Amino acid sequence: MTVGTILVVAEHRGGELRPVTFELIAAAQGVRGRTGNPGGRVAVAVIGAKAAALADALKVDGVDEILTVETPQAEFDAEVTEGVLGALLAELTPALVLIGHGVDAMGYAAALAARHGLGFATDVFKVDVQAGALVATRGGYGQKVNVELDFPGKATVMLALRAGTFKLEPAPAAPTVRSVAAPSVVSRARFGAFVAPNSAGDVDMASVDFILSVGRGVGEEDKVEQFRELAQTIGATLGCSRPIADSGWLPKSRQVGQSGKTASSCKLYIAMGISGAIQHLAGMKHVDTVVAVNTDANASIFSVAKYGIVGDMFEIAEELKKQFA
Amino acid sequence: MAVESAAVPPEQITRILFEDFAPAAVTLFYLIGFAAIGAFLWGCWVQVRKYRRGQPAPEAAGDLAGRFLRMAGTVLSHRTVERRDPAAGRAHRLIFYGFALLFIGTSIITLQEDILGALFGVKFWYGGFYLWSSLVLDLAGVALIAGLVYMMIRRGWIRPPKLDYARPDRQPGDPDYDRSAYRREDWAFLWTLVIIGLTGFVLEAARLVWLQDRPGVWSTRNWSPVGAALAEAMRAGGLSAGAAGLLRSGLWWFHGLLALAFIALVPRTKVKHIFTAMGSLMVRDPLAAQRLPKLPDDAQDAAAGASAAVGYAKITDLTWKHLLNLDACTKCGRCHEACPARAGGAPLSPRDLILSLREHSNRTLESTLIPGEADLDIHGGRVGQISSETLWSCRTCMACVEICPVAVEHVPIIVQMRRKLVEDGEMDPLLQKTLQTIHKTGNSFGESRRKRGGWAKALPFPVKDARKEPVDVLWFVGDYASFDPRNQKVTQAFARLLHAAGVDFGILYDGESNAGNDVRRVGEEGLYEHLAGSNIAALGAASFKRIVTTDPHSLNTIRNEYPQFGGAWTVSHYTSFLLELVNQGRLKIDARHAYRATYHDPCHLGRFNKEFDAPRELLRRTGCELVDMARSRDNSFCCGAGGGRIWIPDPVGKEKPAQIRVREAAQIEGLELFVVACPKDLTMFEDAVKTTGFEGKIVVKELLELIEECVVAQQVEEVAAA
Amino acid sequence: MKILVPVKRVAALEDDFRIRDDGLDVEDEYLSFDLNEWDTFALEQAMLIKEAATAQAGAAVEVVAVTIGPDDADEVLRACLAKGADRAIRVWADAITGSDPIAIARILAAVARRESPGLIFAGAQSADQGHAMTGVALAALLDWPHVAVVTALDYGAGQDRANATRELEGGVLQDVDVACPAVLTIQLGINKPRYASLRAIKQAAAKPIETPTLSELGIGADAIGPAGSASRVRRVYIPEKGRAQLIEGSAAEKAARLAQIIREYKAA
Repeated sequence: MTVGTILVVAEHRGGELRPVTFELIAAAQGVRGRTGNPGGRVAVAVIGAKAAALADALKVDGVDEILTVETPQAEFDAEVTEGVLGALLAELTPALVLIGHGVDAMGYAAALAARHGLGFATDVFKVDVQAGALVATRGGYGQKVNVELDFPGKATVMLALRAGTFKLEPAPAAPTVRSVAAPSVVSRARFGAFVAPNSAGDVDMASVDFILSVGRGVGEEDKVEQFRELAQTIGATLGCSRPIADSGWLPKSRQVGQSGKTASSCKLYIAMGISGAIQHLAGMKHVDTVVAVNTDANASIFSVAKYGIVGDMFEIAEELKKQFA
Repeated sequence: MAVESAAVPPEQITRILFEDFAPAAVTLFYLIGFAAIGAFLWGCWVQVRKYRRGQPAPEAAGDLAGRFLRMAGTVLSHRTVERRDPAAGRAHRLIFYGFALLFIGTSIITLQEDILGALFGVKFWYGGFYLWSSLVLDLAGVALIAGLVYMMIRRGWIRPPKLDYARPDRQPGDPDYDRSAYRREDWAFLWTLVIIGLTGFVLEAARLVWLQDRPGVWSTRNWSPVGAALAEAMRAGGLSAGAAGLLRSGLWWFHGLLALAFIALVPRTKVKHIFTAMGSLMVRDPLAAQRLPKLPDDAQDAAAGASAAVGYAKITDLTWKHLLNLDACTKCGRCHEACPARAGGAPLSPRDLILSLREHSNRTLESTLIPGEADLDIHGGRVGQISSETLWSCRTCMACVEICPVAVEHVPIIVQMRRKLVEDGEMDPLLQKTLQTIHKTGNSFGESRRKRGGWAKALPFPVKDARKEPVDVLWFVGDYASFDPRNQKVTQAFARLLHAAGVDFGILYDGESNAGNDVRRVGEEGLYEHLAGSNIAALGAASFKRIVTTDPHSLNTIRNEYPQFGGAWTVSHYTSFLLELVNQGRLKIDARHAYRATYHDPCHLGRFNKEFDAPRELLRRTGCELVDMARSRDNSFCCGAGGGRIWIPDPVGKEKPAQIRVREAAQIEGLELFVVACPKDLTMFEDAVKTTGFEGKIVVKELLELIEECVVAQQVEEVAAA
Repeated sequence: MKILVPVKRVAALEDDFRIRDDGLDVEDEYLSFDLNEWDTFALEQAMLIKEAATAQAGAAVEVVAVTIGPDDADEVLRACLAKGADRAIRVWADAITGSDPIAIARILAAVARRESPGLIFAGAQSADQGHAMTGVALAALLDWPHVAVVTALDYGAGQDRANATRELEGGVLQDVDVACPAVLTIQLGINKPRYASLRAIKQAAAKPIETPTLSELGIGADAIGPAGSASRVRRVYIPEKGRAQLIEGSAAEKAARLAQIIREYKAA
C-alpha cells in the first residue's frame, strides 16, 4: 500500500485542541512507518473560525503540513465539517483519514463515508498494514471479541480511532501551514452554547487521586450508603458508573466515564460491582493501579485492572472495613 | 318456681300484646313497622344491586347446601372471630347468641300474633312455653348487654392498637385521613343496641309493676329474673301500678321505634355485617390467595385488543364476590395488625385498602345510575382510590386473608389491581428490568439457561437429567436455589442427602424456568402463563413419580396453580419428603446438635400450604431445642421478599420486615440458631442479621444444612460401597 | 406525520462462547438476542411525541418500526408493536448477509423514501457492535440534516424545526436547533422506556409485519452485502485475557491483600 497522504482531522472544543488530536498524529506516524513508503505525508486539517490560532499547537514532530480551513463557525458543525472534508478529500485524495471516535465524529463521519463511498470503521484501537493492506481492529459483541477489518477496493479509508489508545509525546517541529478556502456550506442546524454539567459544591472526580467506585452490582439505592462509609474509612472518594448516576442514587458529578468525568488525577481506582462497559473504561483505564471486584470472572473490567478479585462486593467491603477498624 | 295451679289457667299465663292500646295506635305501630321493614328491604335491594354491578364470579357458584352448612358451622362456632383475640371472641359470642335468641323470640311472637293466630287462630305462646321462653330471653338479654358492655370497655378503655384506625396510606390533611365518622358509627351501634336491651328490661319490669295485681303476673315474675329484680326495686322505690303503666306506655314506643329504626338502618350501617359476613363466608375460597384467578378468556382474545380490561381498573371490574367482601369487613383490624409491609412502615394497610374501595363502591354503585367511567377509577390518590405505592408494598404473604374472620380476599384484589398497573407499565424500573430478564432467560438472575444446572458440577456424583431418562423423584430446583451462590450450597447439600438416602432423582437442567409464583403475584399474568406453560411442557415430557422441591414458592404454584393450566402432579416440599425418608429408615439422623433454635415458617409453606410440623419434627431430630417465636405457624411474620418485593428496592431508612423478624427472634433468651426452609428466607435473614447487628450472636441456618450435619456417615459409606 | 424508528436485534455473548470455524463470527448457539437498548429509547421518544399529539387533538402521528433481518427479527418488531408502534416493517434477503452499517443504511434509506416520514429516530449505537454509524449514514443518503447522541428533545408533531440536546464527553450538553425532516440518533437516558407486558406482546403477534422485497424497494445487489459495505470482516478472535493479577483466598484474605495495596499506596 502506498500512502500518498494521511489526513488527520484535528478535534477542538472551546478554543482548545482536544488530546485525541495528538493521538491521531501518533497513529498516522505508526501507519506510515509500516508502509514501504516513508515519503507519505501527514497533513492535519483544522476547521473552524479560529483555525489559524489553533495551528500553532499542531506544530509537532510527525506533522508535515497543517491545513487551516476558516469557516464562519467557531465550534463544531456537522454539515460544515462534512462539506469541508468532502472538498479536502477531492483535493488531497488521501489514502487514509484519521479522526477521533467521539460525539463530534458520530455527528458527521458516517455521512461523509456514505456520501463518498469511503472505507470506514469506528472505535478502532489498532491500525496495521498487512501484506500491503490496511487492517483495522475494533471490538465486537460488547468488547468480548476483537474484529479485524480490511477495506478491499477502497481508495480512501477513514478510521475513527478510540481515544486514549495511541500515545504521542509531542515534540516541537516546523511543518508548513497552508490555508485552504472553505466551500460554502449552508448548515441546516444551529449549534448552541456548551453547558457544563451541574456539579455545584460536590467533588471533582478529575482532581482526586484515590477513588472507590460502585456499579450496578450494588443493587439498590439502600446499599450505596455502606460504600460511602467504606470510602471514607479508607480515605477514598466515592465514584460510580453511569447506571448509578442515571438512577439518581449518586449525583452525576460522581460519575466516571465517557459522559461523566475522566479520573485524570487518579492513581488508585477500586471498581466494585462494575462490569467494565467501554464507556466507563474510557474514564479510568489509564489509571496506574486499578483493582476490580466483581462476581463475574469474565467481566471486561478485569482486562484493564492490575489486580482482580472475583467475589461478592458486599463481603469484600465488610472484610475491608474490618481491616481499617 | 311452680306455676300457680288451678288459680290461673295456662292460657292466661302470657303477655298480651298491645295491651291497652287504642286500635289506632296499633295500626300506627303496624304502619311504622311495615315502613321500617320496607326501608330495610329497599336498603337490602340497593346493596344487592351494588353487588350485581360487579363482574361474575363463577368460582363462587355451586354446592349451595355445602357452602351454607360450612358457613353456619363457622358462624355458630365463632371459630374465626376468636382467633388471636379470645376476649373479643367470647364477647362477640355473647352478643351474637343474645341477639339471635332475642330475634328468634320476637319471631315466635310475630309468628303467633300475625300469622298463625291471625289466620288460623292457633296460639302456643302461653303457659310453660311462655315462662321458659321468658327465662331464656332474659338470659339472652343479659348476654347481649354483657357482650356489648365489654366491647365498649374494649373500645373506650383497653383501646387495642388495631382499633385505632390510624392509616399508613394517607397523610394528616387528606380528606379521608380522619376516621371520626367511623368511630361515631361504632359507638352509635353499641349504644343503640345497649339502649334497646336495657329499655327492654325496664319495659319488662314496668309491665310487672303495672300488672302486679293480675293473677299469674307477679307470681311468675321470677321467670324473668332481671325484670323481676328491677320491678322489685321499682316497687320498693315507690312506683305505683298506675305510674308504671305510664312508664310502660312511653317506654314501649321508645323501645319499639328505636328497634324499628335500627332495623331500617341495618343495610345502611355497619349492622349489615350480619348479612354480608355470612354471605362472604358462604362464598369463601380456602385457596383464594394460593390459587389466583386466570385472566378471563376474552382478555386473551387478540381481537378484543386494548379494550379488554386486564385486572381491576374500575370499581365495576371487581367480581360481585369481591364487592361483597368489601361490605363484609367489620374493621376488626386483624389484617392491619398482621401485615408485615405495614409493620415496616410501608403505606399499606389491608384494612384501609378494603375500606377505601368500600367507600368508593358505596359512593358510586349505590345510586340509581352508575356514574361515568372517569368516576369509577380505583387507582390514584383521591378518596376511595388506591395509590400504586400502596399496591406495590404488598408481600402477598396472605397474613391478612388468613386471619380475616369474614373471608375478605385482600391479596387477590391487590393482585388484580397490580395486573392493571403492569399492563400500563407503572412499576419500579428494577422490577421492570427483572420481568424483562425473566422473559429473556427464564430466571431472575439474567444468567444463561445453560448455567441452571451448573451447581451440580461441584458434586462428586452425576445428577440425572430428567429430560433424558425416567426418575422416581423429579426435583424442581427453582431460581434462587440454582443461581444464588449462598443458596447453591444448600442445593448441593440436598443433592448429597438424596444421594445418601439412595433416592433416584433428577432435575430438568435448562428445561426448568422460574416457576412463576412471584411473577403471577406481581401481576404479570401473561409472563406467568408463558413460564407455567413452559414448565408444564417440560414436566409433561419427563417421566417421574412425584415432584419434590426445596422452594416453597415453586411448591405453591406447582401444587395449587399449575392444574389451572393442565399440569397436575403430586408435589412435596423437601421437609415432608425428608421426614418420610427418615421415618422409612432410608435416611438416618443423629441428634448431634444441642443448639437453642427457632424455626421461621415460610409463608408459602406454612400459611399457604398448612405445612408446619414436618420441619419442626426434623429440627427436633437433629437434637436442637426448638423454641417458637411469638408469631409462628399460621401467624408467621413474612421475611418481606414475596410479591415481587425481592425485585423492588426497599425505601431508604425504613425498617424492613426481615429486620423486625430478627429482633423478634432475638427476644428468645439464649437463641443461637434461626432456622429457615426457603431460599428467599435464607437470603433475607442472613442480610437482616448483619444489618441489625446480631451477626455472631444469631446464626441463620437452612434446615437442610443442619440435617446434613447430622446424617449418619455410615449411610454414605453404605451407598459408596454399593 | 410519520416517525420512522429503525431498530436492531442485537446479540449478547454467553460466557462459554466459541468462534466459528471460519473465524468470521461467533458460533450461533452462544448468542442471546434482545432489542437494542438505545432503540428502546428511540421508540419511546417517538411514542411520547405521538401521545402528545393525540392529547392535544392535533394531527395524528404514525410510528413505524423497521428492522433489517431474517424472520427471527420479528420478535423485536412485536415488542415495538406491543409498546404502541402503529406499523412494523422487516426487510431481508440472503444477499444482505455480510452488510455493514453503511449497507444497512442504504436499505433503510429506500424504506424511508417509500414511507416519507417527518422524523427518523435511530439509536445512537448498537449494544453489540457499537459502530454508531447507521443513523447518520442514513441521513446522508437521504440528504437530511442530522444530530447525533441526543439526550433531550423539544419537538411537537408537525413543527419544521426541532431543538435537540446533544451529550458530549464529560457530560457537557449542547442545544442544536435543527431543520426537519431530520435524523436524530438517540442516547440512553432521554426518557423512561415503557414496559410491554407479555399479554400486549402476544396480542401484537396478531398484527401484520410488512415485508417488502429488495426489488420493491429498488435496491440493487451492489448496494448491499459486502459490495455495499465500507469494511469487510477478516477475522474475529478472542483477545488475550486481561492482565489482572487475581487475588485468591477467602473473603477476609482477599480484603487483607486489598488493604495492603491501599496502605502501600498511601505510604508511597
